[in-house]
Amino acid sequence: MSGRNEQEYIFQEAARLELAQGRIDRREFITRSLVSGLGLAGVGAVAKSGITPAFAADRPLTPTFYQWIQDLHPGIPAVNAKFPGINYQIAPVEGFGIERFVAEAKNKQSTWDVYVGQTPFVEMSAFIKAGVIEPWDNYIPKDVIDDIIPSIRAECSVDGKLYSWPFFLDVIGTSWHSGITGKAGVPDAAPATWDEFLASSKKIVDSKAAPWGATFDAHGWRSLVPVTHSMSTKAYTPEGLFDFTSEPAIEALKLMKQIMAYSNPDILLEGSSDAGVNSTTDEVAFQAQRVGLYFKYFNAPLRMAASWDDPKLLHLGPLPKFTNGEGSTVFWTTGCALFKYGQNKEKAAEYIKALTYDPQIWKDSIVGTPGVHPGQLPPYKSIYAGWDSSKPDWMPPFVGLVRSQLDRAKAIDNNIFGLQQFVIGKPIWETYLKGEEPDPKVAMTKVMEAVQKEIKKG
Amino acid sequence: MAQAIVDDEVELGARVAGGPVPVLRKGMAEWLFLVPALIFFIGYQVWPIVRVLWLSFTNFQLLSDKPAQWVGFDNYAQALHDPLMWASLGRAALFTIMFLPGTIILPLLLAIFVDRVANQRLATLYRVILLIPAVIPSTLIFVLWKWMYNYQSGPINHLLVNVFGLFTIQNAPQWLGGTPLTLPAIAIMEVWWGLGYHTIFFIAGLAAIPKDMPDAARIDGANEWQVFWHVTRPQLAPIMMILVVLRFGSAMAVIEEYLIFGGFNRASPTYTWTIFMYDQAFKTGLWRQGYAASIGMIGAIAMMIVMAGLIWIFRPKG
Repeated sequence: MSGRNEQEYIFQEAARLELAQGRIDRREFITRSLVSGLGLAGVGAVAKSGITPAFAADRPLTPTFYQWIQDLHPGIPAVNAKFPGINYQIAPVEGFGIERFVAEAKNKQSTWDVYVGQTPFVEMSAFIKAGVIEPWDNYIPKDVIDDIIPSIRAECSVDGKLYSWPFFLDVIGTSWHSGITGKAGVPDAAPATWDEFLASSKKIVDSKAAPWGATFDAHGWRSLVPVTHSMSTKAYTPEGLFDFTSEPAIEALKLMKQIMAYSNPDILLEGSSDAGVNSTTDEVAFQAQRVGLYFKYFNAPLRMAASWDDPKLLHLGPLPKFTNGEGSTVFWTTGCALFKYGQNKEKAAEYIKALTYDPQIWKDSIVGTPGVHPGQLPPYKSIYAGWDSSKPDWMPPFVGLVRSQLDRAKAIDNNIFGLQQFVIGKPIWETYLKGEEPDPKVAMTKVMEAVQKEIKKG
Repeated sequence: MAQAIVDDEVELGARVAGGPVPVLRKGMAEWLFLVPALIFFIGYQVWPIVRVLWLSFTNFQLLSDKPAQWVGFDNYAQALHDPLMWASLGRAALFTIMFLPGTIILPLLLAIFVDRVANQRLATLYRVILLIPAVIPSTLIFVLWKWMYNYQSGPINHLLVNVFGLFTIQNAPQWLGGTPLTLPAIAIMEVWWGLGYHTIFFIAGLAAIPKDMPDAARIDGANEWQVFWHVTRPQLAPIMMILVVLRFGSAMAVIEEYLIFGGFNRASPTYTWTIFMYDQAFKTGLWRQGYAASIGMIGAIAMMIVMAGLIWIFRPKG
């Protein structure tokens, strides 16, 4: 029996990989094998690599979603209905835990094909490092990738490759209870500067229009970072870590302490869900209509105001800035990750495109549906252009305001410690906020040291 | 009986013949029935411990594609020199000290009261009421108490601020979220949750004490306290030992409550050694599971030492 030549091996391996990746089905694989004369040798290749890859194409498209996405976006089932046989699932990721995905990837397996719920600065670097996900570049249509707003595309890319197909955009901005601000005699407009923000907060407290003038979410990426960006976005180290010792970050910390003088006393406490990250005290205070001004990503005040007697009293606007500051803010997207060992990748791309362009999902998100009002925005230039050229009658003003700020907004740099740097640093910079450490620079220097110490451990 | 006689005759015959008695063959059936349980025990209890022990001597990082390398006791040395290790162990110990008395004193008192209720129906009703929290799933318990302890909208602070006027909205107690009150708050929740379960232990223990013993003591002039201290308490010592040892272990190893009520804030009283271990294994950096395993082993060894002491202290005497 003659040996098989190298070309046959190369062709066979390429076809086997395509079969394993779900890019061709079994019929196509065998057809190619027969046409190229490999015949039973091709089948042998399948047998050698196991039955599972051969049967991969039989698995229906299996996307998995973070629970909150399903809770906040009721339009998803309608999109799913356009994909008969889809095996839609909820992901086991409570508390942003991705252990299951990592464990499966280590075994070169994946129960699911695509994960909807990835936030780039939170878990994308870990996914890439552990070989859990692969870029979308081979599957996402070129017109879609070119349609993504550039700053969002940058956020979702590593080394020029798109690892997160963006879906929901969250931007940190200002919101206020216009009933409270009106009662306090504060202008019904987003404060343009932080000085105005502080003055309005004080006025609300002094006038007793509400117990508290302002609140924010004390987690660093929701308060320290956007306030820093409002002064300057040049607050990152060359390694992609947040530079806690930069002047903008220190000024941001000082401002947070000033705001706390007019805030709910439990503002620094951890939340009551998702390992303390969600259902935070600021949300409780705003929902209870005990505070006038608020800054956080818009879906928070929108959700909290849904239970007010008159939700229309909620007004939204861009984040204030420091005088002579850049006037930026922070944004992040919740996107879709393509599992390296998943299947049905072309189908996954079709599905995600259908989801992310669905007009009903965006209308429901912006306007709200009974009981739910996420306020999350799309990531595509064409959608905004369409709204600009033909403004829907349901479009609220905040969308235009946020879109204009998005061109100046910056995402948190991707790094394996992208989220953890803030978790590690929080109790340390809070020593300044609580008055235990008088010098903010000392507190922030200790934060950097703690983060670097953790990074050195590996 | 006939089979036993036959077996004995076989055995006698074997002995007479000078050969060894096949004792093991006689007990083989009993051992065979143990095999499924042994497989489960070894597979789900022993093997994971062995695996974690091995991990603790390596530099394994789950997110890294580098293979694990043997590092000896480096992880242990690093953990023992880490102030966070000692702080987190101390927090767990503090919680345990707050929690343990609640598993002994209050249930024992309640058991004595329920035991003295003459009306059996009423006694049964009391037992049922006591056991209600024990049958509620943990998820609902946590949801309930998170609401109870909520600073702004919880009923406890509503009573303290709006009904009794003991605090204002500005200085009301902050029960959860990493404040100094967080551990006592969780301890109260845990004591309430386990109250009925622990009380039942003591009720069973009291039922086993012969009634003539305390009666005889009273006839001899002992007052109720003396009867309790010298008669009842020693008889309940084995139950106390079981409860203390079991509850010590579970209190030191709490993780769910801390994840829910405190998160990963390293300054929080709820950042105990279990959270530290979980944080290192699944959250921080490249997920240093070798290091996390060493944290777990240190915590486990510390617990075993204390448990041995507790068993010795609470051992039945005489």
